[in-house]
Order: sequence, then C-alpha cells, then structure tokens
Amino acid sequence: MREVIAAPLAGLDLRQHYGHHQSPAVRAGGLIFCSGMLPVDPQTGERCHGTLTSEAHVILGNLKLLLESAGSSLDWLVQVHALIYDSLEYDVLNRVYRQYVANGPPARTVWTAQIEAGFKIQLDVVAAA
Amino acid sequence: MTEKLQRSAIEPKNPLLNASRNSNLPHVPGIRVGDYIFLSGMVPIDPQTGERSHGPIAEQVRVTLSNMRHMLESAGSSLERVLRVHVVLADISHMAEMDRVYREFFPVDPPARTAWSMQLRFGNGCEIECVALAG
Amino acid sequence: MRAKREVISLPVRAPDTASSSGQPVSMAVRGGDFLFVSGLTAVDLQSGERMQGTTASETRQILINLKQLLDAAGSSLDKVVKVNVLLHSMLEAPNMNEVYAHFFPDQPPARTVCGAHLPDGVKVIVECTALA
Repeated sequence: MREVIAAPLAGLDLRQHYGHHQSPAVRAGGLIFCSGMLPVDPQTGERCHGTLTSEAHVILGNLKLLLESAGSSLDWLVQVHALIYDSLEYDVLNRVYRQYVANGPPARTVWTAQIEAGFKIQLDVVAAA
Repeated sequence: MTEKLQRSAIEPKNPLLNASRNSNLPHVPGIRVGDYIFLSGMVPIDPQTGERSHGPIAEQVRVTLSNMRHMLESAGSSLERVLRVHVVLADISHMAEMDRVYREFFPVDPPARTAWSMQLRFGNGCEIECVALAG
Repeated sequence: MRAKREVISLPVRAPDTASSSGQPVSMAVRGGDFLFVSGLTAVDLQSGERMQGTTASETRQILINLKQLLDAAGSSLDKVVKVNVLLHSMLEAPNMNEVYAHFFPDQPPARTVCGAHLPDGVKVIVECTALA
C-alpha cells in the first residue's frame, strides 16, 4: 500500500507554492520516503535563505513537523542524504545536524551538489513509519 | 495499523572501519530496518590502519567495496543481497576504471546503480553507499 | 522468512542502457516490498541508441522508458514512492518538472532534485523506488 502524506502546514506544500511536482512524503512498506526538504517557512512557504546553520535549523524543524504528523519522528530516521552546496561547510553541517539526531543517528551520506534557489542545504531522508 | 518496523544500528566487526565512531560523526555505519540495511557512504579507508587509502582510483574503489563487503557481512548480509548502489566519483572520467573494478564485486545479477560525480571531501576519489536486504 | 532478492530481466535490447553487457548494472532489482530502479538516462530501449537532446526531451524519453520497465516488472508509475532526479544544471529544473508532471498526474511520489556532474554529457538521470 502506498499512501501520500500531506503537508501538515501549508508552507510545506512545495507543489502548491512552487509547482514542484511531488508529494511531501509517501508511506509504503513500513517506511516514509520524504521529498528533499528545503529551508522554507512552514506557514507561508517563503524561502528562508541564510547561513548553512540557519537553513539547516529551518529544514530540521520542518522535517520534525512532517514526520510527527505522519506518526514518525526524527528518532526514527533511517537514512539521510545531506546535500550541501560546498564541502567546506562539512563541519558546520555536523555541528547543527548532531543536535537533532542525538538519540541514535541514522545512516548518512553527505553529497556536495547544486541545490535549487541557491540554498546551501537540502535533506533527503527515509524514516521508519 | 501495521506494526512499526524495528530499527537498529549496525557496525563493522573491524573497528578500524567504523568511521562514524572513529571520527566522532553524527551517523552510524548503517541502519537495519525491517528487511533492509541502509549503509552510510563509504570512502577508501585502509582496513589495516584505519587511515585514508588514496592512490589510483581502481585501488580506491577496490578498498571501498571490500570494506562494504565487510560491513554487510558484519551485519549478516552480503554483497549478493545488495539492491541498489550509489557511486559518487570526484572525477567523472574515472567511470570506466571504476566499472572495471566494480564488476569484480558484483559479477552476477548486479544491483541497480546510479553513478555520477560530485566534489568529495578529503581528496577521496570515490564515495559509495548501498541499500541491501538484511540476512 | 528471509526476504528474496530478484533481478528483473526486461524485454529490451539496449546496449547503452544500464543492463547492457558494457556495465555491471541491473536495470531493476526487487527486494522485499520494493523495486529499486537504476538511474536511467535517455536511450531508445529497442535500439540502445542514446537519445541526446534537451533536458525536457531527455526527461520525456526516460519516463517513457520507466513506464515500460515498471509495467514489465509488474509495477507501475503510480506505485513509485520516491524519485531522485540528477540534473547537469539546476537551471533546467522547471523544464524537467513540466515534462515530469505529465507522467505522475495524481498523488505524485516524493522527489529530490539536485545538480551534479553527470557522465557523457547526459543532461538528466532519473532513479526511483517503487512498490513491487
């Protein structure tokens, strides 16, 4: 069974705000596959450009909201792809990221990639449902 | 309502390959959840010393995939159980060399794969992750 | 019971695709509840010829092929749960997105898009995970 998870707050509906043809997350086979998470205001959907640290805080806050609305949580993350715009920010990423996964972090791979709208970070995650 | 899948961290029998712990990083070498094992990205580390193992790309890929084999076997799985691999190369021109070594590790019924190039840290020539079926 | 792994063999003859004799890659592998599909590039599945074009045209070819692969494997586009799109340039994201929307009209899968260095001048790679 495949179930689309709706955005818990309007700002997290990137399809509505930006025309991104994707659902916020899909539950199937006991797992939740999330669309790439971006630093947008969860109420308004407005882009929240900033430092990697500030963008990461917004993203992880949004992810927490999304997963909890689906009956999961950050503690149930299984795999994360952390996309950052420049590998020089690796230590900065770790410093903020570790605050959110203190209770047994998931598997992770960090990718240095070009992210939309000049954002510095995007998180692509799978969690247990 | 279906039962929640169990989630647990896996680690390599060879502690020198536990980059997560050795470098105090906020991840684990892999997570087992339900039928699956998701591994963190692996880079070329000498299993004898725990040091980065740089050299020609062929050797880097070989070391990385050998370590991946060890990681999966430590968790009761194996390379034959791998479902999908992501291969990231620092230099896209290394694809052919990577393929040459890669096929030694997956000679029959290879997994699904996506391979591309990105900037990698610490001079690593490759970073490889996979999803596998648990044992 | 131990979950089974199965390489999906597909009725295509495509020297340049993932399942060619050239590359040690299977196009799709089933394991547990899911089908894991390799990153696909724009090729003609019958001839194996590369179909180089714009990001939009390559996206279209890839998704046409994906539909065929999934159907042959007993799955379908509406069983796709997650898609990863790699673009040679994020400037092309809207062009990719416009084509992409036609293939997933209802309840689209989760998706992550990013820009990276792709092999052989390829403009777009699409990989996905679907329910088997």
